[in-house]
Formats: sequence, C-alpha cells, structure tokens
Amino acid sequence: MKRLLLSIPVLIGVSILVFSIVRFIPGDPARAIAGVHASPQHIEQVRRELLLDEGLHVQYYVYMSNLFQGDLGQSTFSRRPVATELRERFPNTVRLSVAAMVVATAVGMTAGIISATRRYSIFDYSSMVGALIGVAAPVFWLGVMFQLLFAVQLGWLPSGGMGTFRHLILPALTLGLATAALIARITRSSMLDVLRQDYITTARSKGLIERVVTYKHALKNALIPVVTVMGLQFGTLLGGAVLVETVFSWPGIGRLMVDSILARDYPVVQGAVLLLAVTFVLINLLVDVIYAFLDPRISYGTREVE
Amino acid sequence: MRKYLFVLLALALAVGVFAYGCAPPEPEPEPDPDEVVDVEQDLVVAIGAEPENLDPLKMMSAPAATVAEHMVENLIYLDVDGEMQPALAESWEAAEDGMSWYLYLREGVQFHDGTPFNAEAVKYNLDRFLGVDDPDSAAVFAFLLGEVSEVEVVDEYTVQIHLENPFAPIVSHLSHSFIGMHSPDSLEALDEDEFAEAPVGTGPFTFASWDRGNEIVMERNDDYWGEVPQLDSVTFKFVPEGSSRVIMLETGEVHAIMAVPPTDIDRLEGEPEIDVVHQTSVRVLYLGFNMEEEVFEDVRVRQALNYAVDKNAIIDTLFQGVGEPSTAPIVPAIFGYKQVGPYEYDQDRARELLEEAGYGDGLEVELYHPTGRYPQDDTVVEAVQAMLAEVGVDARLTTYDWGTYLDTVIVTPDEAEHDIYMLGWGTVTLDADYGLYALFHSTQWPPYGNNVSYYADDEVDALLDEARITPERDVREDLYHQIIEILWEDAPWIFLHDEGQVNAVRSNVEGLIHHPLENLSAWDAWIE
Repeated sequence: MKRLLLSIPVLIGVSILVFSIVRFIPGDPARAIAGVHASPQHIEQVRRELLLDEGLHVQYYVYMSNLFQGDLGQSTFSRRPVATELRERFPNTVRLSVAAMVVATAVGMTAGIISATRRYSIFDYSSMVGALIGVAAPVFWLGVMFQLLFAVQLGWLPSGGMGTFRHLILPALTLGLATAALIARITRSSMLDVLRQDYITTARSKGLIERVVTYKHALKNALIPVVTVMGLQFGTLLGGAVLVETVFSWPGIGRLMVDSILARDYPVVQGAVLLLAVTFVLINLLVDVIYAFLDPRISYGTREVE
Repeated sequence: MRKYLFVLLALALAVGVFAYGCAPPEPEPEPDPDEVVDVEQDLVVAIGAEPENLDPLKMMSAPAATVAEHMVENLIYLDVDGEMQPALAESWEAAEDGMSWYLYLREGVQFHDGTPFNAEAVKYNLDRFLGVDDPDSAAVFAFLLGEVSEVEVVDEYTVQIHLENPFAPIVSHLSHSFIGMHSPDSLEALDEDEFAEAPVGTGPFTFASWDRGNEIVMERNDDYWGEVPQLDSVTFKFVPEGSSRVIMLETGEVHAIMAVPPTDIDRLEGEPEIDVVHQTSVRVLYLGFNMEEEVFEDVRVRQALNYAVDKNAIIDTLFQGVGEPSTAPIVPAIFGYKQVGPYEYDQDRARELLEEAGYGDGLEVELYHPTGRYPQDDTVVEAVQAMLAEVGVDARLTTYDWGTYLDTVIVTPDEAEHDIYMLGWGTVTLDADYGLYALFHSTQWPPYGNNVSYYADDEVDALLDEARITPERDVREDLYHQIIEILWEDAPWIFLHDEGQVNAVRSNVEGLIHHPLENLSAWDAWIE
C-alpha cells in the first residue's frame, strides 16, 4: 500500500514534466504548430486552444482538471480527442510488447538455463556471444535486417503493417531480442549462483536426478532476479516500441508519438508520454508485488520479517 | 492475508491487460505476398503519413488530399499539367464587373448516399468551409476563399459566388483538394467525428474502412457519373519509414509507394519489375535577401550571389539528382510560370559584379536558416557558404529550430537581424497568385505577410493587382510572365531549386497519376 502511495508523487512529477514540454518550445508554439502557411486566425485558434495567453498555473490547473475527467485535449493535427487516439493505439502496443516479452522469456530463459547447466560448452559460448550481439545491436537495424531476410529474400513473412498473426512475428522478434539477450545472461549468472549453494549440493547428495535439481530446486530461486529484470524490461519494451513500430509500420503508441512529434502535435505527444509513464509506474508496482510473492523474505508491510 | 489479496488483484489486472492485448485482431483479408500480383483489381499504395482528418474543415496535408480526392470531388479539377478541367462544375465564367463568378453545375450527379448534387449542396459546403454561421469553425484553409462574400443559389444547377474584390484566382482556389463537395445530408446527419471517418462524396470510390495508423480502404463506386474505375478497391497503407516502404514494394506487398528515399533510387531503378517515377513538386527553396540592408539594395550584389551558387552540384550531391535548379520564382507546374533561368554557375561573373558594386575586397553577411525543416536544409546552407566564400563573400551562419526561426525572420525590417534567410514555398493552389502575391507584393511584408525580403516594386505591385482582377486566363498568364521576368532580373532571392518527388510503382500497374501536388491518384489505374 505504501508503494501505491509512493507512486503518486512520481505521477505528479511526470504530469508536470509532460505539461512543460509544450511550454518550453523555443519561439511561439502556436506558430510552430500551425505552420508557415497558416492564417493569423488559425494561429490565434491554436493559441486559444492551448491557453497560451493565460498564466502557467492556470494552464496547469486546467490541464490537470481536464485530465481527471479523462480529457487529454484535442490533437492539433487530426483535430480528434487525444484520448480517442490513444485508446485506438494502446492495445496494439500492448499486444506487441506482450508478444515480444513472450519471445524474450522463451528464448532468453531457455538459453540461460542451458548455458548455466552446460557451462563452458559450445552452446554456452555461442549463446552468450549471441546475447552480447543481441544487447548491442540497434533495434532499428535489426528490424531492417529481418525485413530483408524474412520478407525480401525468403518471402516468408510480411514486412510491415498490422493484420494477421504473421504480421506480429517480425516486430515481436525484433523488439524481444535485446530483452531475450538480457534475460539469458541474468538467468545464466543467477542459475550459476544458485547451483553453487549448499542446499543444491544437499539435494544432489540426496541422490536426486540432475533435472529435478535444476528445474525444481534451483530454478525457482534463480528466477527472482530474472523476474525483476523482466518487469523493468517490460517498461523498456514499451519505449523500444517507438522504433520497432516505426520500422514495421505498426499502429501503436510509439508510432503515434513519432508521427505527432514530426507534426508538432503536442497534445498527443503529451498524452502518449503520460500514458507510457503511467504504464511504466504501474508495471513497476506490479513487479514489486510479484517479487514479494516469489520471495517471502521481502515484505512491503509495516512489519519487517526478520 | 492482505498481501495475498493484493497479489490476487495484481494478477487479475495483469491477466486483464494481457487478454486485452491479445484480443484477436479484427479479421481482415490480407493478401499473400505471392498472390498480390494475380489478385484482381485491388490496388495497394504505401504512403509516408496518415491523413490527419478527412473533414474539409480540418484537412491540412497532402496525404489527406491524396486519399480524399478518390471519394470526394471538387467543382473544378486541376490536372497534372495545371489545366483546369470540369469536374462537378461543367463550366464557369466571371460576371461583367468581375465581382462574382457563375458556376454551372453538372446535372444528374448523386452523392454516395443518394442525395442529389445541386446548387444547394455547393452552397452548404462552401458556407461550412468559410464558417459563415460560426467564424470560429471555419476551415484551416478558409483563407483560400478569403475574398468570397456570399455564395448564392441562382437555380438548381447554377451558383453565383460573390466577391469582396475582383479576384480571378478564385477558380484555381476552388480546385484545391481541400474544398471537396460532401453530401450535405451526411454532414448534418452524422456527428462530426463519424463524418470525419467516413466522407460521403460523389467520387469514383466510396469509403470502406479506416484502420487508424494502418490503412484506409476504398471501394469502386459503380454508380459513378463519369468513367467507372477498373479497380475494385484502392488501399492506402501508412508506412512512415522510407526503407520499409521500399521493402514492401520489392516484396510485392504494395503496388506503389510515394516518396522513395534518395538513397534507394538507384537500386530501384535497376530492378526490372519496378518503375521509378520522377515528378516535380510545387515547392521552391530559396535564400532571400533582406533588401532593406544597404548592401542588398544593389542589384549587382544580388545577382552576383546567384551566379556564385552551383545549384546543380547541390542537387547532384545532396539530393541524388532529385529536383531541378529553379528557373523562375515558381515551379513549372504552376499556372503563370515562365522559364527565365537558371542563373548559370559562373564565379568570374560573380566576382566581376561584386567588383563593380564596390565589394571587390569581399563582404560579410549574416545567413539565418532553420534546421530539420526542409530536406537537408543545414547541409544546403553549408554548401552555399563554401561557394560564396570562393567569390569573397563570408557568410556567417545562424541556425535555429523551426519555431524560433519563424519568430526570428518573420519580423518587421527594424527588428530583422538577418541579411539572408532560407525559406521554401509551396504554391498549393497551382496558381501564380498564391506564390507571387504572397511573397513579393509590398502589402505582404511581415509580420502579417510572407514577403520576408521586404521586396517593394511599384511595377510588380501593379501587375500583381491587375492579374488578380483580370478574369481572362491568357491575359493573366501574360501578366505573370512579365512579373517573373522582372523578379528574375531583380533577384530578391538566391534562387536555389525546385523540390522533386520520386514515387515507385510495380511495372504491372498502369495509369496511376503522379500529381505535382504530391497526390497519387488511382481512378484511371489498372493492374495487368
């Protein structure tokens, strides 16, 4: 519960930051938004919509009170409510991120576990080198490479857009790979750590077969840091979606953000950043909770269990 | 216990989010890459940006125009050559005094919803566009009809447009893609949001679906008054990343793409199954002189700087050959254009002129420019700086972000800090008036106008005014030719280049129209 309360100041901070974006544009934001061909009337209209003639505190008050009524303002580009735009796009980003997470978990944990149990084997070396590349390769480059390989050369998968399940594979793979690499490395080191512990030696000496030792006794404890990383990575995935969605023309929040920045559509940028920030905070909250569940030693209550 | 409850709640939330995210996407027939070629007449085009809105009140961009004109038609259509073609108006003429124009409408045309098209419909659309009932709700582009005082219904198929002042470009302005004719019934019946999603016009295609961020699909209108298209449907996909568009074209996922990235042009031109199409745009890029500065009062200095810049080198090295050196203050696609240039690259001539003007020892200027606004804007300026240095002109660069830049250069002469500024201008009406009047008439000085050079010439003013009130097109054309000749000789700008546009099409697609207004039109197209 304390955690929940703690996230409130974070969210207020985010709202102030987001609110400030448009006010810190050098020059006249109304003119920048309206463009060079705009008539004075149109500039005036934009100015009025953004309340640019009022004091900053008034602007913030109006912004926040509208926000609590679910009114994020109106896009200066499409002239539709920002909330509508976000509602249309957000599920797509969640779908992509979840798919990427599934890819990352499946690939990452498998590689990590095998590497840990067969330490210094060919598989260990090659998967760790692969992980290094996965972490280091820029997402947009990877995306284009996948497009060239799977769409142009092999013709197996569509190169972009959204529609069937097949459209999801390449973007999810691209987005998930860096996380997979990270998860693989964390899983490996965490597993190695746990496998060295006394209780594992005990379990082995009891004559348990290695598979049971690995998957029943070691894995559960080794998972704790992995889950933390996964939680944090989920937020990162939402952010990484900005690039992947642009490369694969995936109609999600990230692309909406890029398009809006290019169109100087600040209300939408504000809304999208706010939404991502809130999601990020909520996910972290969720991770804390799951963390406590996995590891009974951790408690966020008033009583310390020691 | 409380902890478990909390965990349970959290898990429920997680599952909820997951389920939401995993909801099956709306079923949508996605053609297999291999199939596309054989599929009947369903054309797919990838464009870089999504229309912001299809309500004429809110439209602002070329993608919006490109999509809209398949469903919604104008009174007059400006074709690729800049010729005015009858569309929903069969003919038009100015009244004797030039204070109004008569439009004679096509009979027997119906909107997609069955509403008849007539003079009332035209009045309804234009009044809405102008914000007659509520000036606050006027269209973003209402200035196009700025001179209109009233739209009058004369009879069922005749409309009279009254003007504040005689204004001949009005017919060109009526052809602007944002002034399409929508069914008044649909405008009234549907609330604005719904309308914006599904425009009801008279065009060769009807609205089918709009999946935001992904694509818009339109189907053939079998009851079209003109020649019914051969295509069954047209789909515009929104693919922001240039290289992704190219890949989709290569795999055959789409039949055509707009705005090929310069780096991919050579490669695509080598592919036998793909045709690369070069077309002009309506935009010129220029470096304007602050003519209130003493040094630029001398026409020889202005001309010298024009001779000193190698436009071809800029186009070839920075734009991979896309674009043309400017041959007039407006591009060839605009009505009223006359070829008078380019200023040839001639360093000796530049030095000579500077010498004559008394600047043989060199000269220093402040060059202001934006960054990230025009393609390669800062690189172009750096190239120009190097070229000017070779004739002894030392240009100091000041770079600004777009918003700040406009505030810095669009100011009164007293406040101006710049000697030279960089801007571009798209004459989106395809009529010289919008290009030349706005940029060179002495009433258009900043802060309320775009004549940032502070150009003032009595003769040009008089000719521009006359061209505005002269209804005969050939007479007007001649007036603009005179204006362009004067401007070219007077050189209030360093004329740089006309921006080009490059599209690419699979070679089994025929009949696509690549318009200088950066529209791609498919009503005459078919797939072989």
